[in-house]
Amino acid sequence: MEIKQTAVAGTLESSDIQIMISKGTNDFEIELESDVKKQFGDQITKVITDTLKQLGVTSAKIKAVDKGALDCVIKARTIAAGQRALGTTDKPEWEVL
Amino acid sequence: MNEIVELNLHDSKVRLRWQNFLKSLDISNFSDKEVEKIDKTLGIYEDNQLVATGSLAGNTLKYVGVCNKGVTQGSRFNTIVNALVNYLFQNKIFHIFVFTKVKYSTSFQHLGFHELARSSEGTFLETGTPGIQDFLAEIPQISNQGQKRISAIVMNANPFTNGHRYLVEQAACESDYVYVFVVSTDLSLFTTVERTSLVKAGTGDLENVSVINGNDYLVSYTTFPAYFLKSTDEEIEYQTTLDAQVFKTQIAPFLNIKKRFVGTEPLSKTTKKYNEVLKRELSPEIQVVEIERLKSKSQNFITATEVRHLIQENRITAIESLVPAPTYQFITDNQEQLSHRIQEGMNINGN
Repeated sequence: MEIKQTAVAGTLESSDIQIMISKGTNDFEIELESDVKKQFGDQITKVITDTLKQLGVTSAKIKAVDKGALDCVIKARTIAAGQRALGTTDKPEWEVL
Repeated sequence: MNEIVELNLHDSKVRLRWQNFLKSLDISNFSDKEVEKIDKTLGIYEDNQLVATGSLAGNTLKYVGVCNKGVTQGSRFNTIVNALVNYLFQNKIFHIFVFTKVKYSTSFQHLGFHELARSSEGTFLETGTPGIQDFLAEIPQISNQGQKRISAIVMNANPFTNGHRYLVEQAACESDYVYVFVVSTDLSLFTTVERTSLVKAGTGDLENVSVINGNDYLVSYTTFPAYFLKSTDEEIEYQTTLDAQVFKTQIAPFLNIKKRFVGTEPLSKTTKKYNEVLKRELSPEIQVVEIERLKSKSQNFITATEVRHLIQENRITAIESLVPAPTYQFITDNQEQLSHRIQEGMNINGN
């Protein structure tokens, strides 16, 4: 599926993550800002890319600002931002959850 | 809990409390010119006291101030910045700037902002997309650019004159490749599209010249409002320093630009100051080459300001000897519309 527009989900509050998704040229380009990047950077990146792949996205530019979000939160925010970017919010992708 | 409320600065009581709160945090510029630019102001109250605030002017965050007494460091700051950026996101604005004091730069960086420039007085950061990396990636490059002599010129070209052409020629002679960045802010008599196309038309025969839109990063209304508005010396100093630093630390290294060509500035105070600051900030990494301005047959310096005045006075034929053929053609074809814009109040005395 193709990214149609830039979209955001999430906040900058503690325990949340803000994810911005826009058109990418190839593959996933992820820019992550997190206080625990050293410890959990790879895991956060993996959750985001896995979730996007499940949404059928193959390439995108992602900016994520993490404030200590758990995996379930990262997944939820990625789905929300992803579906907004794909313009498919009227058809929730339940299987991805 | 941090409940966000909107502050109405037109209410003098609210404005006074807001101003006093920010003053207590060492923020002091409340000139009408600055405050009038604000589109929206948010705040957090606690026990009837303002404890955090932040404002938006276009896509720029302004007047962000937070008191951390009695709460976790950063929690109010994150709440207020979050509310501001989310408001912009909802309005489909995904590229956001902030100018702030050096000591607050790290707080913004924790929220995903990237520092573009820094001086002793302040820092300039951005977040979101498309950012400066996207801007740079789209600029064409020649093969082996890293080993070549690359130069840059930034111009408003309002409109493109023989003086501009001379400056570009000088740079083209001394370089393997020249980037001409055209100011992208649309606040001039000639629109950005018109200015850019006239620069392209007027330099089309020079094979090693590439004309690029300067975006928000080179003398734009975002980084350098003083170029477009009457301003104090301190404002000019502050803004030109950051503008020069963006060029030096972000743009020049990426494109291997080693020289920046400028024309000597006999008339405009702002541009003169800008040239001085460029020399101070860019050297030694980038050489600022000042080229003596071209004079017309009557021994006056050729300036775009003069061309605009001649349009205003309807003395179109006098322009022919001052500008390249495409510019002259454009002015004769669109004389009526240009005069109309001047009558509508377009300022033609600035830059």
